[in-house]
Amino acid sequence: MAWSIPQQQSARSISLRYGVALVSVALALAPGLALQHYKLRSVELPLFLFAVAITAWQAGVGPAILSIVLSSLCLDYFFLEPIYSFDFTVADIPRVVVLIAFAALIVWFSSIRRRIERQLRQARDQLQMEVEERTQQASLLNLTHDTIFVRDTSDVITYWNRGAEELYGWTPEQALGKRSHDLLRTVFPAPLDEINAELLRTGRWEGELTHTKADGSWVVVASRWSLRRDQLERPAAIMETNNDITARKHREEEIRGLNHELEKRSTELEATNKELEAFAYSVSHDLRAPLRHMVGYAELLRKKASSVLDDKSQRYMTVILESASRMGHLIDDLLAFSRIGRVETQKTPVNLDQLVKEVLSELRQETGGRDIVWRIGTLPVCHGDRQMLRLVFINLLSNAVKFTRARPRAEIEIGCTHEEKNEVMVFVRDNGAGFDMKYVNKLFGVFQRLHHPDAFEGTGIGLATVQRIIHRHGGTVRADGAVDQGATFYFSVPRL
Amino acid sequence: MDTRLGRILMVEDDPRDVELTLTALEEYNLANEVVVTHDGAEALDYLHCRGEFSTRSGENPAVILLDLKLPKVDGLEVLQQIKSDPKLKVIPVVVLTSSREEKDMVASYQLGVNAYVVKPVDFHEFVNAIRELGVFWAVINVPPPGSARK
Repeated sequence: MAWSIPQQQSARSISLRYGVALVSVALALAPGLALQHYKLRSVELPLFLFAVAITAWQAGVGPAILSIVLSSLCLDYFFLEPIYSFDFTVADIPRVVVLIAFAALIVWFSSIRRRIERQLRQARDQLQMEVEERTQQASLLNLTHDTIFVRDTSDVITYWNRGAEELYGWTPEQALGKRSHDLLRTVFPAPLDEINAELLRTGRWEGELTHTKADGSWVVVASRWSLRRDQLERPAAIMETNNDITARKHREEEIRGLNHELEKRSTELEATNKELEAFAYSVSHDLRAPLRHMVGYAELLRKKASSVLDDKSQRYMTVILESASRMGHLIDDLLAFSRIGRVETQKTPVNLDQLVKEVLSELRQETGGRDIVWRIGTLPVCHGDRQMLRLVFINLLSNAVKFTRARPRAEIEIGCTHEEKNEVMVFVRDNGAGFDMKYVNKLFGVFQRLHHPDAFEGTGIGLATVQRIIHRHGGTVRADGAVDQGATFYFSVPRL
Repeated sequence: MDTRLGRILMVEDDPRDVELTLTALEEYNLANEVVVTHDGAEALDYLHCRGEFSTRSGENPAVILLDLKLPKVDGLEVLQQIKSDPKLKVIPVVVLTSSREEKDMVASYQLGVNAYVVKPVDFHEFVNAIRELGVFWAVINVPPPGSARK
């Protein structure tokens, strides 16, 4: 970086160089004069040439020219007749010309040599800089976590970074000079010819490779290849950058496995559901037919034999018919119950006020002649399956009607509490037979009954159906009561 | 009333159901013109006048009482064949089944059934249902031209 050297220093070096010219000419003059004193002539010319040569060698062209001028003047002054004068005779001209010509030749050669030397030095410095830069770059490549190596066109590894050493387990000394595909036992996703063709065409290739490490285990890498071409555009080297994706591959494999398992389970579930449906269908069709026949033929028999049957036989007949009819109801209720679990809920805004009115008008046909006081509060609009919620009210209200049968004046209250923000809590309260809280957890079970069939008829499916419907709406059910003190049933459904 | 009675084709595999149905119809003098076939294939043979029915006169019944669960060719398939046949599709078809399954009902209506009746377990209700069906379809309803009449 010559341009940054201070001016002062460069001036000193110039004066130093011209000093060399003065000193060397002086050093040549001194022995010349001494030898002349001893009458030894014609030695001064080679001495001056020697001084010029040294100056040219050491200080360059400028000082050399100065030394030629000084040498010529010294020669004329000290050695050519007349001595101690700058005048000279024609006969002396050849000696001066020889000195100047010879000296010029030396300077010329010397300058050529110096130029070559300078160029060589420059080239060396440049090379050194380049080497330093390359080394720096290589050490940067060593810093990266990525696995990078370079191979030539015959796949021989020429560079191997620390990432490669860490991933594969071979040191650069072990890896350099080996054929990469042999060393790593590469498994390609496509024929190598195709990959190379793409690399030649586009200069790049990306894909997943399986490599074998030094310890024999394998690794899956996301590999990126870049092709470097030389000045003549011929392929020169391939840089391969690899990222270990083995863990990711394992996870993908795991997820695939889990998905497969899930698919299998869901297929099994579907099959189970289909079986259940087939079972329900079979129950619906095949169990009802013989029941109908029992009832039908018993009825025909009673009609035909009524004159010969005594009272006891008539009662047997009635029990058969009632039992068959009860079984019919059981089957119907059980099917309805199972259907709730199977069908999709179709949720819409449901006006509970209106729904209760509908159910009540249906129930009133069965409550003729009874004294029932209905207290109906305002109910909000909720979000649910209208048909299913209708079934909830039918079950709860007909229960309330049924269990207040013994009361001279039945009181049934329907309302809602406003405790929760996101859901509606509806209650149905009656002053009927009630129940013992000891058995409250049995209340919502299928076929669970807390009363004798003689007292209150029923299949024991109603409240189980209510619970199932409310659960399918994401709500809860609970009951509160005491024997002979009436009962209250609560259920919650999502608010609109 | 008898002179205007239409012919009823009953497709029912269960002999007890056949007997109970005929008994119910008998009470109202509707049983005389009931033709009973015991599976879907036989019903289709009857309707197309082929096989053992190749000699019958080619009139259509006034109504078909069709069970769904049948051997060989099931009820829905019989219904589908009837409703896709230009000559047969005018015959009123009443599905008379034990099945309360919604999908059966929906499928039947989609195929163009004229009525869907679930056989009641209670005998009185059953008799009432059969009687009303018989009276309506074989007596009150005016069947399409070409139907058999007594």
